[in-house]
Formats: sequence, structure tokens, C-alpha cells
Amino acid sequence: MTRWTADRPFLAVLALLLATAAALPLLAGTPLEMSRYLANAIGQLAAFAVLALSLDLIWGYLGILSLGHGLFFALGGYVVAMYLLKHSFEVTGTVPDFLQFMGWKDFPFYWAGFGAFPYALAVAVVLTTLVAGLFGYVSFRSRVGGVYFAIITQALVYVAMLLMFRNDTGFGGNNGMTGFSVMFGWPMGTSGMITGLAVASLLVLALVLAGCRWLVGSRFGALMLATRDDETRLRTLGYETLRLKLAVWCLSALIAMVAGMLYVPQVGIINPRLLSPELSLEIAVWVAIGGRGHLVGAVVGALLVNAIKFWLSFAAPEVWPFILSGLIVLVVLVFPNGLIDLARLRLVRPMGPRRLAADVGEARP
Amino acid sequence: MTLWRLPLLIAGLLIAAPACAAGAEPAARAALVEKLCGNAGQMGEAAAALSTLAASGTPEEIGWAAPLARAALDKTLACDDTGAVLAATGTDAVTRAPRAPAPDARTPVLSLKNRAVFEQADAALALRSAADPATRTAALATLERRPAALPEGLLEAAAQGETDPGLRTRIETLAQTAALNAADPAARIRAIGRIAEHPSRRALTQVEALAKDPAYAADPAFRQAVDAGLATIRRGIALGDALATLYNGLSFASILFMAAIGLAIIFGLMGVINLAQGELIMIGAYVTWLVQQGLRQAAPALLDWYLVLAIPVAFLVTAGIGIALEALLLRHLYRRPLMSLLATWAVSLFLVNTVRVVFGTQNLQFETPFYVSGGVPVIGDFIFTWNRMFAILFAAVTLLVTWATVRKTPLGLNIRAVTQNRDMAACIGIPTRRVDMMAFGLGSGLAGLAGLALSPIYSVNPQMGQNFIIDSFMVVVLGGVGTIAGTVVAALGIGQINVLIEPLWGAVAAKVIVLLMIIAFLQWRPEGLFAVKGRRK
Repeated sequence: MTRWTADRPFLAVLALLLATAAALPLLAGTPLEMSRYLANAIGQLAAFAVLALSLDLIWGYLGILSLGHGLFFALGGYVVAMYLLKHSFEVTGTVPDFLQFMGWKDFPFYWAGFGAFPYALAVAVVLTTLVAGLFGYVSFRSRVGGVYFAIITQALVYVAMLLMFRNDTGFGGNNGMTGFSVMFGWPMGTSGMITGLAVASLLVLALVLAGCRWLVGSRFGALMLATRDDETRLRTLGYETLRLKLAVWCLSALIAMVAGMLYVPQVGIINPRLLSPELSLEIAVWVAIGGRGHLVGAVVGALLVNAIKFWLSFAAPEVWPFILSGLIVLVVLVFPNGLIDLARLRLVRPMGPRRLAADVGEARP
Repeated sequence: MTLWRLPLLIAGLLIAAPACAAGAEPAARAALVEKLCGNAGQMGEAAAALSTLAASGTPEEIGWAAPLARAALDKTLACDDTGAVLAATGTDAVTRAPRAPAPDARTPVLSLKNRAVFEQADAALALRSAADPATRTAALATLERRPAALPEGLLEAAAQGETDPGLRTRIETLAQTAALNAADPAARIRAIGRIAEHPSRRALTQVEALAKDPAYAADPAFRQAVDAGLATIRRGIALGDALATLYNGLSFASILFMAAIGLAIIFGLMGVINLAQGELIMIGAYVTWLVQQGLRQAAPALLDWYLVLAIPVAFLVTAGIGIALEALLLRHLYRRPLMSLLATWAVSLFLVNTVRVVFGTQNLQFETPFYVSGGVPVIGDFIFTWNRMFAILFAAVTLLVTWATVRKTPLGLNIRAVTQNRDMAACIGIPTRRVDMMAFGLGSGLAGLAGLALSPIYSVNPQMGQNFIIDSFMVVVLGGVGTIAGTVVAALGIGQINVLIEPLWGAVAAKVIVLLMIIAFLQWRPEGLFAVKGRRK
């Protein structure tokens, strides 16, 4: 792998992210100020890009496709929503809608302490690690992989969705949770808050991108690629791939969780539809379109697909599924490496590692 | 029944002797009419006599008595010295010969107490004599108000003569209630026994109500009968519920099996999971609907047989879609099964939205042919419904045909050969690509048949595929790759466990538990229940 200082696409995207993050607050008050809607959209896109990175890390670099990454995304989202509601309640005294809807007098006992962000963060980290670790351990230990793993993760996220659709779980049920009014003591919905969240999302994205770049460029990254390309040989050579896969899987889940924590305050609502198998499949589509096994590709793919989606959901919502399915077929048949193949057509300067994920194929299940 | 009515009842029974049937009892009839014109006590006796007639009289007597009760209620009875005249028809109340009432005729006035008795007598007579079912239904509604006061034998006789099946069931139910509340303890105990013979939730509520009856505390025989009856009914209901659960599980498993067998064959052959399988099920159901609509236009006489006639159409259409999908898309993705997941998902997205645009999102309306409507009540609340039986039989036939195809035909031999070792099969001259295409067509066609089989049971809309797809994936994961036996056992297991857990903790818990069980199971046998022996990949 090229040294990061020579990885021009990576540096370009990183610079662009940091520049946008700087421009958002600096331009405030000038005639060039971005509208609140645009700033909010940029923040959401950044959260999706973080989510795409998390999937690319295990799919592109480890060859494990998860169709259930929405689970960790939603886990982060639910925890941060609980923090926001509890915190808003403690500051303003507004009782959340879902409590009134269920006719409950008080928060359920497991909401205790969620008013403090460090506690909520700790809970999210522990829960994500626990769920991902347990599920990953039992799956990787019995060497469930490939398509099997993909559909079991899909079932996992589906079951989680059904669970969250229940109204008596104390997490808002099918209406979800909304009405967040205060975050870290500041009111939400103001221009400053929106810009702040967007900048935070961009910075986290830049940080995660750089971190992942460092990881895949390290010796550990080389082992990841080796696991993807020929796990049996690596095992024969004496490497314990179970621990490696488990570590990357948990890391990926944590990144997805962070993405959820960034996303939910910006959209202002969370409901079980975040757990629908469709969203989790869409994450894989962003990565596939951007270029699987290429961190910058995942970021660009997520930004591009979601930008089109945002735009179309205004212009023509009913054609979006057709465009999405067309894009998928195109990517799958014509550009197996996504946008990177476009780059190879010399439309853009060649970039990235010479050995691409799609060139080596996949291990047969 | 109050004591003063007993002698009257006996008298009534005596009057209703065969001699009366000939119509030659003018004296008794005259006496009855005279009582109708008498004081309040006599009028009450007359009403009771009319009720008794309704219970045990001949059709001719009932026909004679019916206008009397009506006239008393409508105040169209004109009493004079020689008897009475029915003002509505201008005939003598006794002989029904035309005559005008005397000038000093008076109309008897009903007391509040007598009005209720007359209403009951009128309803009882109307139930037995009215030609119009609506009138009989209204009469029954009147009778249902005070079941305890009904003359014995009335409802049994009415049920025997009733032609409308719905009304007859209602009459029989009322008869049971009346018997349970009868004055005679022996009759009540007999009634409990009769009710316990057909246990159901309704019977349980009826008998449970008796535990609060004063007789329950007072009469040991009665208490024993009630307790025994309750025990029998509860046992029957439990048995019925168990059978119903098994039956529902079996029908759910049938659908799962049909959805999963195609997936399993394709997965075993090519290592591809078709995420569009659920949408092929949906298309199968829509094709069935189209066949129904086509028949409605072209041949209404055959409309009832649309489910049968749609079988080849649904199979061929979905198989065609499957073959096109394989030839255009999946053929290029054999070395990249994970990408094929995305590709088939794109297809599923496309199909759902196309159907949504073309047909709309609402549920389709299906005719219910006679062979899938209704059912046979077995025990408790378990009804052996024909629509579920249709799905089960359909799945059994599909299983048989699939088994024969895979085991007995050249195509099946090729499929098995390619499943076991693709390279070696290609070496000995098996056209693996064509086998893939045919197998994909077969698997897709089976999904279409699943859609046909579930159209009489579940609601059909563009989203319906998603309800089955994840369960059928789990069937494939659990059953193992490319074995029919594994798919059958896994479908039965998952179907039954789902249905068993559902009433206990709800549908969501059922899904959670099934998933956890599958993950746990994979620890033990990662290749599924019936893995093909071979090197672990």
C-alpha cells in the first residue's frame, strides 16, 4: 500500500472535509453563509459517510459483508436519543411524547443516568461491543461467513426492528423518539447548533477516515487483506484469524454506532425504520458504488448516493427506487469496483492501491 | 315458570291431543278467546296457552293462534257478547268466518305485565309460523330477551322446522341457554351435558355463568354436573387450541417450505441467495389475481377454478422472470456471491416498485372458491379450514413433484452433479450454465407457486414478500444447502416454533427466539441440519 503521504485521493478528500468544516462556521454572518438546510444536509451526509466507512472496513478489507450494520447505527442513535430526551427533560421539564402516549408517570428504570452524556456514551460503547462481540464470536468461531453471515445479520437487524416496533419496550415504539430540545445545555434547532453538529460530524468523519487509513496501511491492515484473500492459508501460516476478525468487526460496529450518534441529533427523530433491512442493504450499496475496499471510495459513494437521494426526495420521490436499483445493477455488472473503475477509464487520474477487492473475487462460501 | 301456570300447561297439553289436530275443538278455542276478552288474570292465562300452542301445537293450530296474539298487542281485537272479532281481517276470532263486531264491542287493554307475556307468545308463534326469515329473526330477538320463561320444547321444535342455517344455530344456542336456566334441575343437568359435548369458548362462558347460580351452592348434583361440564369443556378447548396451533404451524410451514425450497436449490447450486425470492412470491400471487380477473372477463363459469388454472401460469411467469434474472444478471456474478446479494436486492426493489406503480399499494381482493371456503369444526375452537388445507396439500404436492424432479429426471441428476462438484460435472460434459439457468427457473417458479398457495390465506400487496423472506432465509440456513429433506424439516421446525411461541409471548418474541436458536444451532452444525458430506470449505 502506498504511504499515506503519497495517497493523493485520500489527502484530497481529507483536505476537502477539513476545509468544509472550517468554512461552515467561518462563513457564518457573511453573504456566503450556507442555509440551515444545507448545513444540516452536510452534517447528515457526513454521518452516513462514517457509516459507510464502518462497513467498508469489514466488507472491503476483510471480505465480510454485514447486512445488519443498521443495528449498530440505530444502537448509537437510540442511546443518543435517550440522552437528549432525558437531558431535555432535566433542563426544561418537558415529558417526552412516548411516555405520555403510554400513560407512564416516569421514565423506566433503565433510563436512569442517561441525562449525563459520558454515561450514555459509555453505555453505547459497552452495549455495542457486547452485542457485536458476542454475535461475532459465535459466528466467526463456527466459521459462518460469506452469504450465510450476510443473511444472518440481516435477520438480526430485522428482529431488532420488530422488537423496537413494540410500544411497551420503553424506547418509543413505532413512533420512535423525537422532540429533542436541549443538547449539552444549549437549545437545539438554532443555526449555531446545526452548524456545530455539522462541523462535529465532518471532523469525526475526517478522524475516522484518517484512523482507518492508518489501520489499513499498518501491518494489521496487511493481515486484514490476507484474511480477505485467503483465510485458510493465513490460518495455515499460524495466524489466529478469529481474533483478528472479531477485533475489526467490533471496531466497525463502534464506528457505525458513532455514526448513529451523529445522525440522530441532526434529523431530530429516531424510529425503528432505522433498523429496517433496507437501510442496512443501502449501506452496502453506497460502499459498492463508491468502491469496495477503498476508504475514499466508501466516503465518496455515501456522499454521492445520499446527495442524489436528498435531492430526489424533493424532486421525484417515486423514481428514487428505480434509480437506486439501476445504479446497483450498473455497478455490479459494469463497474465492479464502483467509481474506481470510472477512474480507471481515465476520466479521473488513477488512484489507490493497484490490487482491488473485486479483482481477487470472493472466497466461495 | 310460576306455579299457577302448571295446571294450565297440563290443560294445554290435553287440548293438544290428536282430536284437536282435526280442527274440531271449537269449545276450547272459544274458551281461549273468552279468556282473551276477560280480566288481566284471564288474559295472562290466555297468553300462556298461546305460548304453549306455539311450542306443541300443530301447524294449523299455530296458524289459528298467531293472529290472536298479534291482535291483542295491536289492540285490533273487538270483544262482544258472542266472542270476539279480528278487526284487521273482519273475521270471527274462533271460527274465522267473516262477521262484523257488535256495536258495543270493546278492545281489551293489556297490563304492563301481560304485554311482556303477549309479546313473547306472539314472537313464539311468529317464529314457528312466519314465512319471512327476517320476521323470524326479529321474533327470535324478542325471545332472546327472556330465555328462562320460554315454554319447554318451543325452541327445539322451531330449530327442527328452521330452514335458514344461521338462524337455526341461533335458535339452538338460545335453546341451550333456556335449558340451562330451566326450572327443572334434571333438565338443567341434561342441558349441561349436552353443551359439554361441543366444547367451545362460548360454551365455557355459558357454563361458567352457572357457577354463580344459587343452585350451584345449594344442589350438590347440580354442582357436580357444572364442575364436570366445565372440566370437559376446558379439556376440549385445550385440545382444540393445541390442534389449531399445530394446524396453523403446518400451514405456515407449508408456505415457508415452498418459499425456501427454491432458495435452497439455487443456493446449493450456485452459492447465491436470491433476495428477490420474496418478490417472486408476490408476483406469483399477483399472477393468480390476474388469472382470476381474466376468467371473470372471459369465462365466468370457470371463475371458481382460478386457483387451479393459475398454477401453470404462476409457475411459468415466475420461472421466466427467474431465468431472465439468471441470464442477464447473476450469470456474471458467480465468483462474487456477495455482489449477487446486492444485485438480487436491486431486482427486488425494482419489482416491488413496479408492482406498486402498476397495481397500487392496496390489498388485492380475491374470490373465495367453494373448495377453500369454510371449514369443519373439530373440537373446541379449532376449525379445520379448507384454505389452510389447500396450502398444506399444495405444499405436499410441490414437495413430491420437486423431489421427483431432483431425483428422477435428467435435469435433477445434472443439478445434483453440479451441486456436488461444479468443475467435475463440467469436465464430464454437463452444460453447467444451462443447468444453472434451469435450476434458477425451477426455484423461481416454486416461489411463484408459494405466492399462489398463500393468496387465499394472507393479504396480497406489493410488500408481502418481505414477511416471508427472512423466515425462508432462516429455513435455508437451518436446513443446510441443497437438501430437500433439510428444507422440509427446517420449515416444519421454524413454522411450528413460530406459531407455538406466538400465543405465549407474541410474534416478535417468536422471531427473536427462532433467530437465537438458529445462531446457537450453527455453533453445533455450521452447515445446517442435513449437510452434504464433504470437505469443509
